[in-house]
Amino acid sequence: MYLPNFEYFQPDSIEETCQLLSQFGSKAKLFAGGTDVIIKMKKELLSPEILVSIEKIDQLKKIEYVPGKGVVIGSGVTHNDLVYSELLHEKYLSISEAARQMANNQVRNLGTVGGNIGSAVPSADLPPILIALGATVKITGVKGDRTMDLEDVFIGPGKTVLAQDEIITEVVIPDQKMTGSNYIKFGLRASGALAVVGVAAAVQVENNAIKEARIVLGAVSPTPVRAKKAEEFLKDKKISDELLAGAGVIASGECVPITDIRASAEYRKDMVRVFTRRALRKAIDEGHA
Amino acid sequence: MSEKHSYVGKNLQRTDVLDKVTGRGKFTADLKFSNMLYGKLIYSTHAHARILNIDTSEAEKLPGIKAIITAKDVPSIRYGLSPARYDENIFCIDTVKFYGDKIGAVCAIDEDTVYEALKLIKVEYEALPAVFTPAEAAAEGAPQIFEEYPRNLNTEIHQHFGDCDKAQEEAYYVRTDRFQGQRTIHGVIEPHCTIAYWEGKRVIVHAAHQSVHYLQHHLARILGMKEGDIRVITPYVGGGFGGKLDVSGLDISAIILSKITGQPVKMAYDLEEVWLNGRGRHGMDMEYTTGVTKEGKILFVKNEIVIDGGAYTGLGIASAYYAGALLTVLYNFDNYKFDAYRYVTNLPPCGAQRGHGQPHPRYAFESHLDHIAEDLGIDPIEIRIINARKSGDVTPNGYELKSYFLKEANELARDASGWKDKKGKMAKGRGIGVGNGGFVSGAGFCQYRTDLPHSIAMIKVYDDGSHAIVYTNAVDIGQGSDTVLRQMAAEGMGYPYDDISIVSHDTDLATLDFGAYASRQTLMAGWAVKRAGEDVKRKILEMAAEMIKVKEDGGYRSGKLMPEELDCREGIVFMKQEPAVKITFAEVARAYFVKNGLLIGRGYYHPGKLGGQHKGAAVGTSPAYSSATQVSEVTVDEETGMVKVLNTWDVHDSGVAINPNLLHGQVHGAFAMGIGETLWEKVMFDEKGKLLNGNYAEYRLPTALDMPPVHSMILDTFEPNGPYGAKEVGEGATTPTLGCVANAVYDATGARVSSLPLTPEKVWRAMKEKREREEK
Ligand SMILES: Cc1cc2nc3c(=O)[nH]c(=O)nc-3n(C[C@H](O)[C@H](O)[C@H](O)COP(=O)(O)OP(=O)(O)OC[C@H]3O[C@@H](n4cnc5c(N)ncnc54)[C@H](O)[C@@H]3O)c2cc1C
Repeated sequence: MYLPNFEYFQPDSIEETCQLLSQFGSKAKLFAGGTDVIIKMKKELLSPEILVSIEKIDQLKKIEYVPGKGVVIGSGVTHNDLVYSELLHEKYLSISEAARQMANNQVRNLGTVGGNIGSAVPSADLPPILIALGATVKITGVKGDRTMDLEDVFIGPGKTVLAQDEIITEVVIPDQKMTGSNYIKFGLRASGALAVVGVAAAVQVENNAIKEARIVLGAVSPTPVRAKKAEEFLKDKKISDELLAGAGVIASGECVPITDIRASAEYRKDMVRVFTRRALRKAIDEGHA
Repeated sequence: MSEKHSYVGKNLQRTDVLDKVTGRGKFTADLKFSNMLYGKLIYSTHAHARILNIDTSEAEKLPGIKAIITAKDVPSIRYGLSPARYDENIFCIDTVKFYGDKIGAVCAIDEDTVYEALKLIKVEYEALPAVFTPAEAAAEGAPQIFEEYPRNLNTEIHQHFGDCDKAQEEAYYVRTDRFQGQRTIHGVIEPHCTIAYWEGKRVIVHAAHQSVHYLQHHLARILGMKEGDIRVITPYVGGGFGGKLDVSGLDISAIILSKITGQPVKMAYDLEEVWLNGRGRHGMDMEYTTGVTKEGKILFVKNEIVIDGGAYTGLGIASAYYAGALLTVLYNFDNYKFDAYRYVTNLPPCGAQRGHGQPHPRYAFESHLDHIAEDLGIDPIEIRIINARKSGDVTPNGYELKSYFLKEANELARDASGWKDKKGKMAKGRGIGVGNGGFVSGAGFCQYRTDLPHSIAMIKVYDDGSHAIVYTNAVDIGQGSDTVLRQMAAEGMGYPYDDISIVSHDTDLATLDFGAYASRQTLMAGWAVKRAGEDVKRKILEMAAEMIKVKEDGGYRSGKLMPEELDCREGIVFMKQEPAVKITFAEVARAYFVKNGLLIGRGYYHPGKLGGQHKGAAVGTSPAYSSATQVSEVTVDEETGMVKVLNTWDVHDSGVAINPNLLHGQVHGAFAMGIGETLWEKVMFDEKGKLLNGNYAEYRLPTALDMPPVHSMILDTFEPNGPYGAKEVGEGATTPTLGCVANAVYDATGARVSSLPLTPEKVWRAMKEKREREEK
């Protein structure tokens, strides 16, 4: 495990970051916490000659509420920033909790929201809960900004729609109709294990019925996926254990997991069934907590 | 001083505690020497292949490269543990035998250059068919890894005692079960590291190792040197668990590279290399057939174990014997048939790991025994008590148990855990299980054939008596031997613990000991330091008898004192009959020094001749055997198969605990290792024999969050063969855990997972299959 030589840039602004990325093209790699990039470089899965760090850009490190827009999370916000954010505790504890279950303290201190999205790892823990809450992302490149739904950012394992010069600058959680949300990570030990299955659910409950639901599955498809049939199935139905169990069964048919060293596809599918039901139940009973 | 002991049995502060908590303590990798070079091994990237050519020319051109060596530059000698199985070369000659096998070594002025060079070295291979399981290895027409191991069978054991077939005819009930144990790795915090440099004809080796003596001995043989020309020093060692007992490629290469370059050379493994060359636990397929009476008394056991050894033998020969040896220590039966087959495969070699060869067989037999108990309608603890051996027993394979309290351990674990109120009465998804274990307190024989004593100690007292130093080559690898040996030396001398320091694990400075393996330091080095302490005390009392003037009018006695009338404790020499008559140790020691010169004490330990006459009788012999019972409570998520261990009770029969806190520390650590091996850990390879999970993300050691509360309890027992009545705890405490937790999972689910680890998916599948069976 040996880290090859590289050049390191630490620009002060988003514009300069995009310019450097554009100027050096495929030789350059955007670098946030580095918890993913450095390991891939050591394993020679990535060999950039230039790293462009966003470390110095304070603007990207804020979590704030912007009226009319929602909760704005800068892409340079670390997992532990999410864990300890009072704003999130108040509005979406479910995001803090998802972050708290990630990795270990050292990695949570370094790893960022932008990196968790940008690495596009199927088992990443933040995208499911963010997508369940209808998050959009702001993407900035040399030619300017664009905004899109987070769920449309992912193309496949390690692949996003971002162009070489583009970076995610913020993630926006819009004001919600959803009354509850929740993410359950299922890893193979209590801490420091990647998700074998991750299920996020958000629900809008009215008069003991589900008006709307969003279910997002992680680690069971090339990208995080919505369980849209299960969502449809739940729409405008009275809440019951059978209903939620039924949604679980449908969701388990909406993913295409692989068999790897952590678990078999068959097991993952069944865990989607179990955790969809549990995540829905928790979102119904406990709100965004 | 009314208590029996001043220091033994006390929770005195660890010798290394400040160094370790402040980070001041130096491990091998922390050491730096001027002009030191950095080296790395060159590893094979094939599981089995012929080496056609090694081209180092590009790498040699790299500025900063100092030396590159391969098989052609080093002696072609073979080495290992037992002469019949010396099967490893310094570097591969002709063929590589696993993905990660050592082909050569490189050293340069810094690490970056070494890594650059490794990329430039081109090895041409002709791939050969490979075998990755014992079944593949044994198959007709399978590729041969070694000429001397036909059908790749590397070790075959047949130990038969009594008459199993006859007992089988007489048995009320006979049952057969099969289990599988996985490959695991120790998970040492400190990766292996070695630094070597030469001083004239002598070489100085600093190494993360468990035995300075064995390293010195094996290096001398491999390098054709005299033992005295090799000085081995182990600084602080960050855990061994059996993985730092074999000679490593780092040790040999650092010495040779340093010889060539004339500069100190540091070599270390990175984490993945620890997996490849660290020699963890063997994978085993185990079958047990046991016959019992109606009451559950065991009449015979037939035990067949097939072992995946990996590419070389090393300590693996001992692992194979240990796999069957110690069952007879736990349970009382006369008819025993142990057959084992250790195969070489094209995977990393396996060796010793905490509990050496035993944890898997313990898991298997403890699970098997629970099934028998269930079939007979006997409580699992009851069947263990019925069959538990007792003090004074001699096993059919020739081990003598001086003190042995497995029955009492079961009873205490049962009562402390509330077993009777819980077993069979727990809520759905909850379970409770029991497992027994134990270990040797040091091996009865040296690794190699010799008549040397197993441990020697020396104590030197300062000229003014103000300080004493214990010398021993016991190796403190974190288990705390430096501390307990100081305690026993202080007790033996009758001298303050705080005024004794220890010089250990340095072959030049300290005295012979075989090192930290087979749970031997407390008992064996303990005897040596105790005796060295008593030797000092004897000299002090003789001197004091001349110095103390007893007054005529004292009323009790007149005239000259005899040494037998005196004792010494905590630095004060006093008259046993009249403790007010006293003199300080320091005064006496100074007078001794003036009269005789240096005051030293000498201690010697040899376990004597142990064991029976059958082939392999030596393995498993020991002066003393510990026993242990664990009870654990678990919950199992019935939908996911996820197991959570809620609570554990461990009762250890370790004789007198020299330092109870250190004992509890061993139990906690052993339990963590044990649940890791039971529930999560497994070394995995792809279909080409390449390691898949050489990191702690995918090789899941337990974390603090996975640990339940551990209630560690010590039985109040005394071992006549142990110093101050002590025997082992270090390895024995790992051995009950696997069976105990597996039995608790079975209790919770009614579904047996017959292979380790009990991953959520396997438990899920077992429950599913059970449901499907029941629905039919
Ligand atoms: C021990 C360990 C445990 C881990 N456990 C978990 C876990 O439990 N759950 C989990 O989800 N992940 C886990 N990870 C993976 C990783 O740490 C996270 O995905 C983390 O969020 C990555 O963030 P980073 O800032 O370190 O990313 P970097 O390594 O800096 O970057 C990762 C990728 O994202 C790109 N990128 C970074 N910032 C942006 C941006 N603003 N816009 C666009 N692209 C960007 C980079 O170019 C790169 O391709 C673990 C990693 C380690 C080492």
